[in-house]
Amino acid sequence: MHLALLIGLVVFSVLAILLRDLLKAAISLAVASIFLAIIFFTFRAPYIGVFEISVVAGLITVLFVSTIALTKSEGDVKENKLPTFIFPFFFIVFIIIDILVMKSMLGKLTALTGSAEQRTFGEVFWNQRTFDLVAQIGVIFAGVFSVLALFRNQGKKDE
Amino acid sequence: MIFLFIAVPLILASILPLIGKISKRLLPDILANLALLFLLIYAATFGKQLINAGSAIHQVFWLGQPINIVLALDGFSLFMLFTIALVSFCVTLFSIDYMEHYGAKATYYALLLIMIAGMNGLVLATDLFTIYLFLEVAAVASYGLVAYGLGHDELEASFKYLMLSSVASAFILLSISIIFGLTGSLNLGSVAMGFRDLNLKFVVGFCTALFLAGFGLKAAIVPFHAWLPDAHPSAPAPISAMLSGLLIKVSGIYAITRIFLNVFGINPALTTLLLYVGTISIVAGALLALGQNDIKRMLAYSSISQIGYIIIGVGLGTPLGIMGALFHIFNHAVAKSLLFLNSGSIEHATGTRALDKMGGLAKRMPFTAATTVIGSLSIAGVPPLGGFWSKLIIIVALVEAKRFSFAVIAVLASIMTLWYYLLIQRKAFFGKLNETWKDIKEAPFWMTAATMILGLLCILIGIFFSAIIKSWLRPATEVLSAGISYALNFLGL
Amino acid sequence: MNSFWFLNMGFVAVLLFIGIYCLLTMKNLVKLFIGIEVIAKGITLALVATGFAKNNVLLAQSLAITFIVVEVSVVATALAIIINIYRHTGSLDIGKLTKLKG
Repeated sequence: MHLALLIGLVVFSVLAILLRDLLKAAISLAVASIFLAIIFFTFRAPYIGVFEISVVAGLITVLFVSTIALTKSEGDVKENKLPTFIFPFFFIVFIIIDILVMKSMLGKLTALTGSAEQRTFGEVFWNQRTFDLVAQIGVIFAGVFSVLALFRNQGKKDE
Repeated sequence: MIFLFIAVPLILASILPLIGKISKRLLPDILANLALLFLLIYAATFGKQLINAGSAIHQVFWLGQPINIVLALDGFSLFMLFTIALVSFCVTLFSIDYMEHYGAKATYYALLLIMIAGMNGLVLATDLFTIYLFLEVAAVASYGLVAYGLGHDELEASFKYLMLSSVASAFILLSISIIFGLTGSLNLGSVAMGFRDLNLKFVVGFCTALFLAGFGLKAAIVPFHAWLPDAHPSAPAPISAMLSGLLIKVSGIYAITRIFLNVFGINPALTTLLLYVGTISIVAGALLALGQNDIKRMLAYSSISQIGYIIIGVGLGTPLGIMGALFHIFNHAVAKSLLFLNSGSIEHATGTRALDKMGGLAKRMPFTAATTVIGSLSIAGVPPLGGFWSKLIIIVALVEAKRFSFAVIAVLASIMTLWYYLLIQRKAFFGKLNETWKDIKEAPFWMTAATMILGLLCILIGIFFSAIIKSWLRPATEVLSAGISYALNFLGL
Repeated sequence: MNSFWFLNMGFVAVLLFIGIYCLLTMKNLVKLFIGIEVIAKGITLALVATGFAKNNVLLAQSLAITFIVVEVSVVATALAIIINIYRHTGSLDIGKLTKLKG
């Protein structure tokens, strides 16, 4: 079951990068997000699952679609057909290497056990990682101001 | 309260666009410069007092209740805070005049302050993920700032910078999650303890490689330097100064130094790797800088070269090497930002950055010429300016560690650096005055003031280097050369 | 570390490969950015899977949520740059962006 979800995630990600039509690629990315969110639900991590769907499959997809709509050109970018054809070959090679590496490391890694959890998510997010919240505010402001700066009205147009 | 270093820029940045609607130029200028002047004085005086009592963990309070923001202020952090405040203050001083024709000054100051807040937060963090997070804060602000001019070059450079930087962040996070998986914690002290108890050479090596790839890209270490020669020249001159003087050092070198020296622990394999990588950076940067016609591009390649020196100092791990690296961080921050600001003055006056179009500018722009000469000599390592002492310490550290071939390469590259910097002086400033530049004037007041401050600093650092070493560099070096034991004793939860 | 963690990390590696392949071979600016998004998915999976293996999903969720917030800011900035590039050159081809040679 879990393996099927992971394979679905990978399949839709591959579609997202190989599809020629940008709109279909963005939709495929959103479907991959939904698969990822279901995986998170099976990890008993509901908060990140909900956040993933609403933000990545929602907000980011909307941003992508509006960008695609704003940048419609008459002649689309002529993508090279070659990478799409040789992709399966590299993909299979990589998967084989990946499986071999992971299998060779099985059981070799001994890890320390972390601290057990007794708190709620709210306590962890707001109390334990308070400094991260300050940084989140900073990064949101940085993004907002960057977009404002990039779309500002220029009084006099130079070059 | 150490938290002011992060809170003041952030709060000011959030209200600046609103203020900008009321007063387009005057109020944002005054507020931004005052805030940075305050941070500078605070770091120099109050922070120094705190350090004299030893490294400390500071708990932040909110309305009397302790909230879980724990900041670690030690010699190394304070040294970086002081450098950041100093260079940022001169950059904002310069921006008063330079950013006039770019428009939307309030948004510019807001982004600049967010970048400064991000860098300050990075040096005060005690947690691996928090280091990554503040690095992203500064990076997102810098993406907007590099593309600020909205010209073709700026947008192209910013896009490539964004792509490469995002991949680097992904590598850093992958390494952080593997470390979290191995040790069960993200706090620097707990991670150090975990690595000491476990004994996983291969995985630790893999995490080291990922960190070196990720943070190395932020620090523009060869072979991850490709974004820098495009991003630094296209950005507005004060932003080039901030990026080259501070961001690559704080987000790249500080993170590498803190993690490799205090958490992973320096070992011979890591030393060899960093020495080779650093030397390749020095040589590649110096060689590529020779053929450049664009003055800012040449300065960008020179930054790559000087970062190589710092990496060599850090990689050695000996107290002398670390001291040389830290001193070179300070010298290069001051001198390189001075040079980039001066290139901004030249561009402001003549409208070009091509060296073969300039000529004899010294007659019309004496202050700019004088400060450029001072800055170039400092970076090239000419006594008695600051850069000479830091390069000398690094080379002595190399000899002391019996790495003679590296020392020879460092000295030769230094001579090459001197040569191409003198080349700029001759082409741009001295020689016959090009007829086209007959009527240009010296740079406006605040721009000249900012560069004079930095130029004066280059001279003063060179003269008073022993006092600087005793009061500022020694505490920082002690923290780093204590290695893992520092993290275990101080930074643990 | 149990084999389940290795399974998830294996898929994380695959997602990273897909993303980097996209960055190396595609020419459309928006398609390149979709590659970055795939890499971000991989990293989110790595964070939460590691948290699950350490029996510490709450901490991992906080980290992953913070990472997604950062990702949104990066996406917004990048798309703003892409729209501006489109206004300048009229196309989304990265082949047109070769004025500066790294």
